[in-house]
Amino acid sequence: MPKIPTPSTPAIEAHGLTKRFGQFTAVDQLDLCVENGTVVSLLGPNGAGKTTMVRMLATLLRPDAGSARIAGLDVVAEADRVRSVISLTGQFAALDKHLTAEENLRLMAALRGHRRSSARQIVGALIERFDIDEFRDRLVKNLSGGQRRRVDLAAGLIDRPQLLVLDEPTTGLDPRSRQVVWSTVRELVAEGVTLLLTTQYLEEADALADRVVLIDHGREVAAGTPAQLKAQVGEQRVDVVAADSDALDHLAELLGPQFETSVAREQRTVSVPAPEEAADLARVAALVRDSRVAVDEIALRRPTLDDAFLALTGHAAGEDADADAADPDHRPAEEVAA
Amino acid sequence: MNATAINPHVSAPVPQGFAARRYVRDTLLLTARSLRAIPRVPERLLDVTIQPIVFILLFLYVFGSAIHVHGISYKDYLFPGIIGQSLAFGIIGAGVATSNDMTEGVVDRFRSMPVSRLSIITGQVMGQVCEALLGMTIVVCFGLALGWHPHLTLAHALELVGLMVLAMFAFTWAGVLFGMLVRSPDAMQGIGFIVIFPLSFMAGTFVPISGMDAIPRAIAQWDPISALVASVRGLTQGTHSTGSWQLEHPQLAMALWCVLILAVCVPLALRRFNRTLAA
Repeated sequence: MPKIPTPSTPAIEAHGLTKRFGQFTAVDQLDLCVENGTVVSLLGPNGAGKTTMVRMLATLLRPDAGSARIAGLDVVAEADRVRSVISLTGQFAALDKHLTAEENLRLMAALRGHRRSSARQIVGALIERFDIDEFRDRLVKNLSGGQRRRVDLAAGLIDRPQLLVLDEPTTGLDPRSRQVVWSTVRELVAEGVTLLLTTQYLEEADALADRVVLIDHGREVAAGTPAQLKAQVGEQRVDVVAADSDALDHLAELLGPQFETSVAREQRTVSVPAPEEAADLARVAALVRDSRVAVDEIALRRPTLDDAFLALTGHAAGEDADADAADPDHRPAEEVAA
Repeated sequence: MNATAINPHVSAPVPQGFAARRYVRDTLLLTARSLRAIPRVPERLLDVTIQPIVFILLFLYVFGSAIHVHGISYKDYLFPGIIGQSLAFGIIGAGVATSNDMTEGVVDRFRSMPVSRLSIITGQVMGQVCEALLGMTIVVCFGLALGWHPHLTLAHALELVGLMVLAMFAFTWAGVLFGMLVRSPDAMQGIGFIVIFPLSFMAGTFVPISGMDAIPRAIAQWDPISALVASVRGLTQGTHSTGSWQLEHPQLAMALWCVLILAVCVPLALRRFNRTLAA
């Protein structure tokens, strides 16, 4: 008999997982540990091996090497039992498009062994929870992407899984639907669901995950909390953007003696390390104000996971697929009026 | 949204002792799922209804006047052929439905659930066989309405139905295997057109095999669909076919073909299914 999972058994414990497709190694000796009750995000660009990794963990693909246990159960030897403790919501809505939203949920409940009355009760609660009521009788093929995703998430929660796996849950969704998915995920996490989330959106991993594993070409590039990853890239800084090149020279002279500045001529920007965050920002702002140098912007910049990816892999995340996420101009910034 | 609405029960592992019962239950559920699609996607029935009906009308009223078969009215010659051909078209229907299913995420969800994997395929097969039965009923009724006269004893009727159902299962499994091997539903349609279409036309369906040119005649004499058509014609009209061993013993030959097709396709389809990656 397999051992009984105890609360201290990690939700996921993978060692050296490897999957090749012909000559192509999709996942290359990846280790992964997810503690119960935590959210871990696999972050990487398209083709990094995220989905392959998830499919091995969900017993849909057999690893070529390495081993993985879900709640203490081996994904190969005890695949059937693994399937009863996990719930996978894949990258594409995993629903029967010729059934209505409610029929899909009823079918999944029945396949999970619920009798008619208990299935009705569970499905009713999920329909309420995910605001499915208004389109419960519509065929899935006629639903919008966001609506499908809600039904999809609901279908994954028929039995509360020990481990919920969401493979790119917001890819292709409009911003509003993305917010709905995020708030749902946050609720589930608050209820103590263990979650493995793959995403190519850096802000998504930053917003939802306790731990982030950066992968690229099937290998782990870095792992840690979002804060630790950002720390690997560098500290926070205050960027001062001069109005013109004369002003830039003045700025450099002004700030140079007091801080370890770095000057980016093309961006007309002087950067100042800001370990004390707002206090440093205030100091720089006061100096600039007193000197009356013309500036366009003074802002506190926190390194983002974009910076982390760029620094750790030498290329921007998803630069082929998602130019927006890698655009340095989209960094969040706290700005003060100059 | 109500945060307390989620089912608080942590999923319990399915009891292992009930594997057989679970298989039956899952198969029934998944068959019902396939059947629900029929009224919602009626065009899926086209292969097994409208297409045979178009051929009936074309050959009965357009080409038929130029075809003379010795010793039997063309109407009585044609309908057994149509029945064999529409059974064979079931391969295409099953293949398209399977390759559609394989490219959808829903099969992945089933595979990641505690659902017997065999039942996912048998559910698909049962749904397709039900579709084929429905299509066949429509085609037969259409034939009877146009004046087809099968001469059946009770024993022959039972033999005929048994053989047709066996053929439906065999062809459906073959279609399921093809559907898993091809890359897209369109590719399946292509294979259907290039392979199944000619084989179903050559099988003594519309014109006697004996009058064909040497090469198509040789193919037709060992085409499984020929055995099927000859069986149906033999049982309903009392004709005797000749030309090859399988045409002289069409019922036995067809039964053997079905067993062979099932013996090859079922394990290959299951093996393939366990390896398939959805797109």
